[in-house]
Amino acid sequence: MSDLAQTSQATKAPFISLAKPFSPEDEVALREALKRCSPSTFEAAVQFRKTGNPEHLPAVVIGVVERYVEPELRVKLKDAADDLRMIEDLGIDSLTMMEIVILVEDVLHMTINNEELRNLRTVGDVKAFIDCKVRGLPLPKPTKFLPIEHIATVMPIQPPFLFINEASVSSVGASGKYKISGQEFFLQGHFKDNPVMPASIMLEALGQLAVLYLLEGLVPEPGKQVSSSMIYFTGCEGVRAHRICKPGDILSLSIKPKRMKMPLATFEGTIRVGQEKAVIAEEITLTFGFIDAVVPPVEAAPVEVVSNTSTPVASAPKAS
Amino acid sequence: MPRAYITGLGFITSIGNDSRAVEQSLRDLKHGFELYPHFDKPDIPCKVVGTVKGFNTESTDQEDWTYPEVYSFKRELLRTMAPHGLYAHCALIQAIKDAQLTDADVSNESTGLYTASGGSPFLTHHFHSRLQAVGVMRCSPFGIVSSIVGTLNFNLVAAFKIKGASCGFSSACASSAHAIGFAYDEITLGRQKRMFVVGAEDGNKDAILPFAGMRTLSLQTDPSLASRPFDAARDGFVGTGGSTVLVIESEDEVMRRGVTPYCEVLGWGQASDGYNVAISHPEGAGLEKAMRNALQATQLSSDAVDYINAHATSTLIGDVSEVKAIKAVFNQPNIKPLVSSTKALTGHGLSLAGAMESAFSALAIQKGFTPGSAHISKVDPACEGIALLKKTENTAPNIVMKNASGFGGANVSLLFKKV
Repeated sequence: MSDLAQTSQATKAPFISLAKPFSPEDEVALREALKRCSPSTFEAAVQFRKTGNPEHLPAVVIGVVERYVEPELRVKLKDAADDLRMIEDLGIDSLTMMEIVILVEDVLHMTINNEELRNLRTVGDVKAFIDCKVRGLPLPKPTKFLPIEHIATVMPIQPPFLFINEASVSSVGASGKYKISGQEFFLQGHFKDNPVMPASIMLEALGQLAVLYLLEGLVPEPGKQVSSSMIYFTGCEGVRAHRICKPGDILSLSIKPKRMKMPLATFEGTIRVGQEKAVIAEEITLTFGFIDAVVPPVEAAPVEVVSNTSTPVASAPKAS
Repeated sequence: MPRAYITGLGFITSIGNDSRAVEQSLRDLKHGFELYPHFDKPDIPCKVVGTVKGFNTESTDQEDWTYPEVYSFKRELLRTMAPHGLYAHCALIQAIKDAQLTDADVSNESTGLYTASGGSPFLTHHFHSRLQAVGVMRCSPFGIVSSIVGTLNFNLVAAFKIKGASCGFSSACASSAHAIGFAYDEITLGRQKRMFVVGAEDGNKDAILPFAGMRTLSLQTDPSLASRPFDAARDGFVGTGGSTVLVIESEDEVMRRGVTPYCEVLGWGQASDGYNVAISHPEGAGLEKAMRNALQATQLSSDAVDYINAHATSTLIGDVSEVKAIKAVFNQPNIKPLVSSTKALTGHGLSLAGAMESAFSALAIQKGFTPGSAHISKVDPACEGIALLKKTENTAPNIVMKNASGFGGANVSLLFKKV
């Protein structure tokens, strides 16, 4: 399950059991362990240790990461964007990652294995990972970088209606790129002597990325997998186009899950070209369903059109 | 035979944190001892240490450390260091600047680095205590690389991007003298053009206090009387830490770079006592042989040596053994090289000693003085018969012999020559 799915699930479950009350000695040890972290990090850790409430975890984790990041790079953490990469963006090597983990273990009283460590590539990965550990939930999938060959293999949507060239997917969201080649068949008519990427297609591209997230990023229930033939578009809200996109532009797509409630998955999505905002969708909602996991996993089956309500995403196979 | 020269020095020592301060202390016979706060306890019999000034490495958390403002360290460098790693890094910076080496001169396949230290009992103790208290998986990932013997080369080779030979030496108090000897070999065998030799020790409570159990530390409470090699009233050595770095280069490199060396490294010899794990041979047999081997290797006769910087640590047995060995080698009429022990000023630097005192010798040769043996008020009758130099002379020795002896009866004798 994604961390969001887990949030809804965890609210029903009690917080982690507190083995013993938080003593003044514990507080002294905690203050010493976090002496180079911000006061708010210490406060969040105290609250977590006293209550076991996971809502304090992100502040603890970000505070610990910040302490190990060189001062000049710390400003990046102010926005605490989940897609910040630990190595590339924050300059954290594997040894420093170990320091972070040991301090987190010490502060949160948990144990993290070496294999688990290797999968933590982004700040979001770390936060989601710690969250799941504390709640005793299945661990999220690590960020995966998917080339076009892989995308085409798993997606029910195929060229010439596939608008993702490459993507990376984690449990907290997905990002991808699509270069407008100018060879897209619909540009011949959209518009006459003036090829412009249709806004509806850009929305479609975001929807496709959300499909990829459901197939590759979501941690399903044990023994289940998301069926690629059961994902369809149901609706969208707050869609705005800000920029005309033309052949040669590289669309940077990103989606994040907002709500997961079977059978609906709602995402927010944005498209940028360089630093410029191109499209924003406040909500894109898909339906999805689970089937029994098959081992070894078979290739994605073609999607059958089963509903008249199906719109761009689900109609993809028809177009191909 | 290719030749090797000392072209750069760096010091973080109890008697000074740069060559100018060290030279002044050696000329003025100014010692570096203090009453050590950690020893101010009724159950600790020894009180005096040759302290490193200007640094505070008391904490097991490297980010708490303080050091002179001329140096700056990023956390990622500090986090794997023992206290002596910090001293050595600073001394190496000095030595590189002193030798006028460029980054390219430092990092290439023809430049290596040999080190000597006893590791960091201080950090080892800390990490093992933590291992016991919180379990192995909550221990620092840097516990090993910051504390074991070898921590010096791990850290310095990585920090200075050393590409040539690198190795640590472990023959106790002969370690860094061994390192100089083998660095000389690397250069004269044509394997390397340049070698850094680094000696360093923490010199703190954990490094020094265990020697009290061997009854080898001075129990004197007066810092100006505690270390007095060859004196009748000596009662053991005084511990010290810090670091010294020497840059040793081939003749070709000295010519190519157009630098003026401190002195030439003529050669060296070594021999072992084969006698006792911790006590020096009563007649100094191994050290005598090491000195003879050094003379033979350099084809010098014993009358060529002007000055011996002795190993003499101010222990009862060791000083006498060395005097006997010196008398055995230099026993002809009128052949009496001047002898002094600069440990009277610095204390005993253990693995650091050989490098530190070789660097003192190089400094003396170039700056034109011969350091005296301080704090002698009455020469031990058993130490008579050698030319003990009690005050620093303002003349440079032409040829210096530097002795070093370590546990297990390891003995090294190095020879340096004025250029």
